[in-house]
Amino acid sequence: MSAPNSRKLPFSRVRRISVIAGHAFTQLVRMKVFYFLAIFALIAIASNFFDLPQHQGSEATGSHGMDVLRLIKSWSLGSMTLFSVVFGISATALLLPKDVEDRTLYTILAKPVPRLDYLMGKLLGVLLLLFVSLAMMDVLMTAMLQVRTSMVLSHQQDMADYLKWDQPARDSVRFETLANGPTWGLQAAVAAVFLRSAIMASVALLISTFSSSTLFTTIVGFLIYFIGHFQADALGGGDTGTSDAMRHLSMVISLVFPDFQLFNIIDAIIQGKTIQLLEFGKLVAAACYYIIVYTVGSWFVFADKEF
Amino acid sequence: MDAVPAVEIRDLVKDFKTSLRKEPLRAVDKVSLVIQPGEVYGLIGPNGSGKSTTMKALLGLVAPTSGSCAIFGKDSLKVDSRDDVGFLPENPYFYKHLTGAETLAFYGKLCGIRGRELKDRVAELLVLVDLEGARDRRIGGYSKGMLQRIGLAQALVQEPRLVILDEPTAGVDPIGSRQIRDLIMTLRDRGITVFLCSHLLEQVQEVCDHVGIIFRGKMVREGRLEDLIAIEDQTEIVLQDASPALIAEIQALVKRSPDTRWLHAGKPKTTLERLFLRETSSGDEP
Repeated sequence: MSAPNSRKLPFSRVRRISVIAGHAFTQLVRMKVFYFLAIFALIAIASNFFDLPQHQGSEATGSHGMDVLRLIKSWSLGSMTLFSVVFGISATALLLPKDVEDRTLYTILAKPVPRLDYLMGKLLGVLLLLFVSLAMMDVLMTAMLQVRTSMVLSHQQDMADYLKWDQPARDSVRFETLANGPTWGLQAAVAAVFLRSAIMASVALLISTFSSSTLFTTIVGFLIYFIGHFQADALGGGDTGTSDAMRHLSMVISLVFPDFQLFNIIDAIIQGKTIQLLEFGKLVAAACYYIIVYTVGSWFVFADKEF
Repeated sequence: MDAVPAVEIRDLVKDFKTSLRKEPLRAVDKVSLVIQPGEVYGLIGPNGSGKSTTMKALLGLVAPTSGSCAIFGKDSLKVDSRDDVGFLPENPYFYKHLTGAETLAFYGKLCGIRGRELKDRVAELLVLVDLEGARDRRIGGYSKGMLQRIGLAQALVQEPRLVILDEPTAGVDPIGSRQIRDLIMTLRDRGITVFLCSHLLEQVQEVCDHVGIIFRGKMVREGRLEDLIAIEDQTEIVLQDASPALIAEIQALVKRSPDTRWLHAGKPKTTLERLFLRETSSGDEP
């Protein structure tokens, strides 16, 4: 009896990867990672009350009202970044060694499962969980901002009536307030948080294919995260006074290590600035580049790995 | 008989690099063996003799330094060679968060089985390994014997023609061990080729028709079990209800033959395992 033809349907590879991804997702969910969502909810609600004395009374209707909105965005996106990066690195670092230790990897690779499918499945499982978690946090943050923006707008209306502001002044304040509320730009910031954690998950996947311990993978993963943030600054990237050699060195390093300078748009969005579609497209393209490079690198190492 | 062997290992050599020694460690040294379809082959040897490495090479989990391994004629390093093989590693721990049925469904899906076929297959396997009562219990709560049986079930999920079992009864109590032995017998009756390694020589003797003895990476003896264990210059006669007078008469007859020596007469003994199983299986009633 050999495997019937029905088991070798087109897209069987996609199905197999989705089975491994779905399983990795379930495995992580059952590790109770969603408890972090409760902590996030507390942080998002608490961010309403930080700096409390300044948003009492009529001041809350002016720039301080918008400061509260920025504070909510800042704390929420900060929490999302913390969760997604920590989780993206540590969960990915955990999955492979655990399968080797429990010998479940043997039983999987003893089935007709190409090693690339196994790796992609594991990575996609982590990314799926990051996506779902961030989407839930995003809904919570957007709802919180929506409510708070309405309150700020209402107070501004009352104050404008009291101070008898003219229409252009009212429009200007309203425009600025709305720009600090739930916007499409804010969704782009959440997407950027997701992409950054996806890059880190793929970095952790690469390290875990040759690392012998989860701790090593996690530590090196965080080291690369910091390198990604500071490499451009350290090499004087963007500085007009930098020599050609340093610029080339910076470019070569950014081909190997992730360059997170592009992700500074998150800070700009927190400040209520709008971002261009092209800028966001560049960020997506860079993220895809890093994820593909690290996944292919993982495959090269894992394809010849002996167990 | 199928012309293509189920397993064909030719001059397999596997060296491992070690950090402490300059010389690589040779785990398997020019091992060759052929298993025909339908055979139950037992590979025996002390710890560290190269049994597991040989099995891993056959499954493509390690790459041979030299030599070749093939399953039903397909190179072991190719993924499609695994279409027809199921593997139970030594001391496996499956995903603890999954139930028995979910575990089998997961492995079934990896092999491309879906829908009704998958449901039926999972149910059939749970019955086969006597775990239908624990189908919805998480693997984390399974005993050692249950883990081995669910492991055997996952190895069989895609109806492979070859099953490879690495120490299938390691750490299992005599009853669980007997259940696994019975399952191997069932597989043999179904025409499935079994390649196993075990420390329990008595069990290997009970289920295998071919045996290989591996020592320090080399295959030192190999062949049909009956041929290997037969003592060619001795004959065994077992009598029931023989009187002492009859025994004395036979003994006297033997003494008259100049080339024959009377070596031993006495009561044949059962094994401790059989005694244990008999006593524990009849102790159900208080």
